[in-house]
Amino acid sequence: MITAVAHSAISLPTSMLASAFGGAVPGVLQGPLQGPIPGPIPGGIALVLLLSAALFAIGLVGFLTRRNMILMFLCTELMFQAAALAMVAFGRLHMDISGQVFVIFILTVAAAEAALALGLVVLLYRRRETLNAEAWSELRE
Amino acid sequence: MAPLLLYATCAVGAVGLYLILRPGAKSLRMAGVLIGLAAAISLGLGLLKTAAGTLAPFDSVPGAVASEGPSTVFTGLFCLIALASAVRMITHPRPVYVALYFVLVVVSSAGLFLLLQAEFMAFALVIVYAGAILITYLFVLMLAQQAESEDDLRALAEYDRVPREPATAVVVGLIMVAVLSDALFGAGPDGQPRPGGPRGQVTASEASAAEWALLDKLPRSRDAAVRALVPDFREVVLTDGRSVVIRDGAAFVTIVDGEGATRELELPASAAPNNTERVGLALVADFPVSLELAGVILTMAMFGAVVLARRQAELGEDQRREAAGLRRLTVDGPDELGDDGELIDEARAGRRSRG
Repeated sequence: MITAVAHSAISLPTSMLASAFGGAVPGVLQGPLQGPIPGPIPGGIALVLLLSAALFAIGLVGFLTRRNMILMFLCTELMFQAAALAMVAFGRLHMDISGQVFVIFILTVAAAEAALALGLVVLLYRRRETLNAEAWSELRE
Repeated sequence: MAPLLLYATCAVGAVGLYLILRPGAKSLRMAGVLIGLAAAISLGLGLLKTAAGTLAPFDSVPGAVASEGPSTVFTGLFCLIALASAVRMITHPRPVYVALYFVLVVVSSAGLFLLLQAEFMAFALVIVYAGAILITYLFVLMLAQQAESEDDLRALAEYDRVPREPATAVVVGLIMVAVLSDALFGAGPDGQPRPGGPRGQVTASEASAAEWALLDKLPRSRDAAVRALVPDFREVVLTDGRSVVIRDGAAFVTIVDGEGATRELELPASAAPNNTERVGLALVADFPVSLELAGVILTMAMFGAVVLARRQAELGEDQRREAAGLRRLTVDGPDELGDDGELIDEARAGRRSRG
């Protein structure tokens, strides 16, 4: 059972946390060591959910490693895509249409973000004649 | 699959990703590709194996269309394609190829949407994402990119070839995967499944009853389905405000037919609201305010893009004063009237007399 795996998977970091905090873990962080096991998530949906987690993480890695401003924004689009996948997969799991409706809103935000971000990038490119994000690193001071 | 094994596999995948990201020898990158692929496949297979010991993907979802092997195969295939193109996306040195690999991610997740019975969203994704948003990105990429030679990698910009802090980024990504998979598959703090977790699954009969009940909100669609069976029916009889009754998994409506007799009619399965109708109904019936807000967001984004993209004119001090309705400061300003000396003199004389 996938949930059995995940169940024991959560107990690993929480037990480490417990030893780090001297046994007293804040309630929110306290994971179950024993207890009822939730119903199984079917394999196909579990695969899609894991894929969405992986895509989100890859988008994050890309956002951190890429130095081209346009590609950084493209990596945020990848993260949007991962969120949309998770929405639809959960909607399928619960037989609820709202997941798909939220994908429409994700698409809306992604489109608005693309329009604004690309406008900004073009503006910045005109100023420095480069897409390198580090050309603007003096802004952090 | 023990939890330690799960984290170890993720860590191996992260090492593979680091090897691919980091600029280095080609053999090291190939090793990274192999390591990452092995980690991804073993993670997927382990996940499926532990999922109730079955490879049938959507079977344990109640109300699923009975589908054995093929959709597992397709799910795995689309997942692999999406994962591989996402990795290629963050490692490819040529920006245009990055955008094209993102199209591949979008298309394969549209395939996954089809497998998850979200047909409308699958097509909307291809049209809006791959068709519109990505084209915008491609346009801007091509506008901003200098012409470069096709084969020589060294001709590419340095900031596209060399990643920034790959090791730190991969560690952050690994933590992200661990947290997300914990949130997705883990249980809540009290040992119970999280609210809305897998316990919240509905049974097949509940799901199909809810689907048929939507026909009450779609009277025209319902009447069209009835008219296809009884062309001369007069009206649908409501019982307790509902027209569709579910019995033994089949849907029935009571109608008054052409002769004025009341009779019950079984609706065919094709009369159930399809995915597009259900999404549309949920959009306007359940989330009307969000829909309006989405419109406002799009309008504001359009205004913002217009304001940002407008070329900023460099105005001199005199032109700014003139625009504000003030007198010019300099008499011998730039000749805006052309090379003709007389004209300029006349204009100056006129300005003096006016001023």
